[in-house]
Amino acid sequence: MSEQTFHLPDVGEGLTEAEIVQWRVAPGDAVEVNDVLVEIETAKSLVELPSPFSGTVGELLAPEGQTVTVGAPIITIAGGGGAGDAAASAPAPAEQVAASDDDGGAVLVGYGTGAGATSRRKRPAERGETVRASVGVVAKPPVRKLARDLGVTLSEVTPTGPAGEVTRDDVVRHAEQASVFRNIATPAAPAEREQTIPVSAPAPAAPPVGEREEAIPVKGVRKATASGMVRSAYTAPHVSVWTDVDATRTMELVKRLKASPDFADIKVSPLLIMARAVIWAVRRTPLIGAAWIDKEDGSAEIRVRNYVNLGIAAATPRGLLVPNIKDAQDLNLRELAKALEKLTLTAREGKTTPADQQGGTITITNIGVFGMDAGTPIINPGESGIVAMGTIRQKPWVVDGEVRPRFVTTVSGSFDHRVIDGDGMSRFIADVASILEEPALLLD
Amino acid sequence: MVESMPLAKALNAGLRAAMTADDHVLLMGEDIGRLGGVFRVTEGLQAEFGDRRVLDTPLAESGIVGTAIGLAMAGFRPIIEIQFDGFVFPAFDQITTQLAKLTNRHEGALQMPVVIRIPYGGHIGAVEHHQESPEAYFTHTAGLRVVSPSTANDAYWMIQDAVRSPDPVIFLEPKAKYWMKGDVDTAERPLPLHASRLVRRGTDVTLVGHGAMVTTLLQAAALAESEGTSCEVIDLRSLSPIDYGPILDSVRRTGRMVYAQEAPGFTSVGSEVAATVMERAFFALEAPVLRVSGFDVPFPPAKLEGTYLPDADRILEAVDRALAY
Amino acid sequence: MTPPDDPALVRVLAADGTFAPSPEAERYLPLIDALTDAELETLYRDMVVVRSFDRQATNLQRQGQLALWPPSLGQEAAQVGSVRAARPQDHLFPSYREHVVATTRGVDPIDIIRVMRGLTHGGWDPTDPKNGNVHIYTLVLGSQTLHATGFGMGLVFDGRTGTGDVDRDEAVVVYYGDGASSQGDVHEAMVFANTYRTPQVFFLQNNHWAISVPVATQSRAPLYRRAEGYGMPSILVDGNDVLASYAVSRLALDEARAGDGPRAIEAMTYRMGAHTTSDDPTKYRTSDEEQSWARRDPIARMRAYLEGRGAAASFFDEVDADAQAYADDVRVRTNALGTIEPDSMFAHVYSEDHPLMVEQRRWLAAYEASFEKGA
Repeated sequence: MSEQTFHLPDVGEGLTEAEIVQWRVAPGDAVEVNDVLVEIETAKSLVELPSPFSGTVGELLAPEGQTVTVGAPIITIAGGGGAGDAAASAPAPAEQVAASDDDGGAVLVGYGTGAGATSRRKRPAERGETVRASVGVVAKPPVRKLARDLGVTLSEVTPTGPAGEVTRDDVVRHAEQASVFRNIATPAAPAEREQTIPVSAPAPAAPPVGEREEAIPVKGVRKATASGMVRSAYTAPHVSVWTDVDATRTMELVKRLKASPDFADIKVSPLLIMARAVIWAVRRTPLIGAAWIDKEDGSAEIRVRNYVNLGIAAATPRGLLVPNIKDAQDLNLRELAKALEKLTLTAREGKTTPADQQGGTITITNIGVFGMDAGTPIINPGESGIVAMGTIRQKPWVVDGEVRPRFVTTVSGSFDHRVIDGDGMSRFIADVASILEEPALLLD
Repeated sequence: MVESMPLAKALNAGLRAAMTADDHVLLMGEDIGRLGGVFRVTEGLQAEFGDRRVLDTPLAESGIVGTAIGLAMAGFRPIIEIQFDGFVFPAFDQITTQLAKLTNRHEGALQMPVVIRIPYGGHIGAVEHHQESPEAYFTHTAGLRVVSPSTANDAYWMIQDAVRSPDPVIFLEPKAKYWMKGDVDTAERPLPLHASRLVRRGTDVTLVGHGAMVTTLLQAAALAESEGTSCEVIDLRSLSPIDYGPILDSVRRTGRMVYAQEAPGFTSVGSEVAATVMERAFFALEAPVLRVSGFDVPFPPAKLEGTYLPDADRILEAVDRALAY
Repeated sequence: MTPPDDPALVRVLAADGTFAPSPEAERYLPLIDALTDAELETLYRDMVVVRSFDRQATNLQRQGQLALWPPSLGQEAAQVGSVRAARPQDHLFPSYREHVVATTRGVDPIDIIRVMRGLTHGGWDPTDPKNGNVHIYTLVLGSQTLHATGFGMGLVFDGRTGTGDVDRDEAVVVYYGDGASSQGDVHEAMVFANTYRTPQVFFLQNNHWAISVPVATQSRAPLYRRAEGYGMPSILVDGNDVLASYAVSRLALDEARAGDGPRAIEAMTYRMGAHTTSDDPTKYRTSDEEQSWARRDPIARMRAYLEGRGAAASFFDEVDADAQAYADDVRVRTNALGTIEPDSMFAHVYSEDHPLMVEQRRWLAAYEASFEKGA
């Protein structure tokens, strides 16, 4: 036989509690629906509560004299029917909330005002990062939007407006400038017309460290980097090629991706498009992703790899690291973006593992963030090519016979001439540039 | 066919057309029958349609609205005239607790096709209670639709559309413009009932308003033009619901907006429009949306109405401020 | 306030159930004589069933199933008599305590329950024939008198009344109370009703209390006398006498529908229960007063009358059983009631599409969807 519980109802005065004055039934009594069970005293009056159930009284759950919270069980009745005859025993729809200090007040009609919420309904974690970089900066809404679109952090912009605000021009100028410190001081020319430097002279002993100098011991990452650089630079004959390209369409695509709900929670930048371009271009010129392998027996082979473990050169607190994204060719755009983001964050936190850095097949180094256009980077040991991504800025360009401001960038790279010849390098760089010019080629 | 006529006559023609089209359209109000209404808006209609369709009611606004509700329940489409804005308040309970809520209370089983025409606004030098702007009480009440024509043509068409609506419509008539003449094209409806309208094109500032203020906005725009500022003017037409399309389109081009109204500014229609435009066109705004309103005092004695009511100078002062950002 | 021995009072049943017409009741006797035994039994049954329903609804509130219940306890005769006097084509405008008026005409009692449970403001569709032309409850006191008058005006304008055909001519009954009678809208409704000669009966249940305020505060003069000031006939009836209530309502309605203009009835009765389940009458009235009215109970009176006419005990038992079954059915169905969807609040604010409704409904849906499942 089922047992049903009657919970103290809100008898319509916005109550949160009542005192049990007198039980009219005792355990074991037979009761019918609507028989009076108990008399309670509310803030305003005495009220009799009729039974919603029929059956046998089980237990009186609150003694006379006790004050009970609305919603608390007060009596059990076993083995009969009543109420909905299958319905829940809790009085609906009154909320069964614990009394708290901010209980509702009494009302003349209705369910009463009830207690306040004690916790917040759960939402999934907030997406994206709150842009706090513009708080406190004086700038009009259109200027703020422009800054966002151009990826400019407002708090880093020097304001020149009459009221001390950041103007549109301030933002545009900032976007174009590289924050590069230029030391233009040049030392005076020496008095002698010529100097002779003996080649075979032993390396001079390091002078003792004085107060104006700092000695940084070479160890750890720096040591590894240095030896890697030496090995690469003096083993592989490096040849660099570069080209300029109108990357306006890439910038537009990046903007659209940023605004798209699919990418709302991921950082999107031109580097993403560059990465896709490199992956695509490698497939068209596979030797770019190959490796020169010297074998123990003195012979050598070029191992062509039909996958792309895309390395991204990252400046980290520990030094220069090149973690790579394994099998980047299998990732769709969104996945690639996430992988780039994760790689960057991991590197920034100094958590890049050795495994992350092994097995790379081609690397991108982003010197554009330093404001550089092009470079002659050193190939990562074990690879045959490295691409340098330059800064993207507005420059005059000829479009349909007219000079127009466009977003222009230089794509440059260094390649191992043992593995790749000039035509292969050029074709590769041209392919990467063509994607930046027309990202839709990736639909191929 | 296009004919020039005063706004009051355009209303008269629109009412006649509505009553001809549907024999269950009724007019109810004080002095609307034999006298033709204190503004002559209903002139001649009782003679034409009889006293069972044009009712001179007892002097009891709540009674007029309440019985109109009953008539609507019995299948009629009553058009009520409240004689003056200041006298709508005795009916306020029937309008807000009953008329506005009955369709909702019936879960859609009953419609309330009742139109309440109210002459409103100042500039007629009248005594107390005859120059009010009570828009906000009604726009704030869910279940009501609120409109205000600013031209004769709009008056002619909007009154007919209001009668056709199955929902209660508060029809605010700018009494200062009853005698303003305008072209009425009886062949072509200009716009839907709840559409706002671009009245004048410009590039520098968007001016928005309703009712009698639209004329003042056009005056201000003309003066601004002579000073080299190009203003765009929009007539809100419908105060609830509001058609934001043309307004947002305009603000995205000009970047600056001023809302002008006779009504006291605190918690007004203009405040709602300003807040919404700020929210939806935030990145286009070169200046905050400004409001030019009546002061938050009871409408003053008529001698002060010129100071109280926004005029072209007050509007242009706001335009200057907007441009200074 | 109306003295209990006002000579204008129409009564046929004394408190003990004996047939003792007052002088003013003479003209109504033919109508009462015309009632068949079955009709008399129906009047009795109606009162018993609604009292059982009313008690059950009160209990449901005490069990946490309803927010509120306004009891009609004690007013059964006035309501049953008047509603049974109305003809099928008539229109009834209740206030919020006329439960038997609604249910007798066909409204499902669960629809009244739903209003008091907070599931709906209206409860039923007055244009649906199954609801017998009963309009929904009105909580703003007296407002419905104007709606009823306006409806009556509509009947006049459309020629739906006053043709002389008693089975076709439509009339309107509007119910209100002594408290509401002080409202301006009631006055205006009477003004308009008489100006336009509506086929209308203003049925005032003087139950002597407006929550805690006695009727003496609402009026120094007997309430029925006000009506004369508007130019309409006015009747004072013992509202605890179902036969008298029936007869005065029947005649008044038929005269009104014949084109003779509106009438007003004051039915003297007593609100035996509280104003609603949130009220406590012990704070403002004496149990002596309640007892004195209990001795004039409308159901006991009618039962005594029927017993005097030879009604069998089995009849009364059967009525009690039916009443109990009715109440049980309401109880079970109430406990099974579900809830309403949040977006229903946007559905009927307007009869035509409205951009704010679309926008806000969409917003609420997106907002609700933004939480984790079950949050």
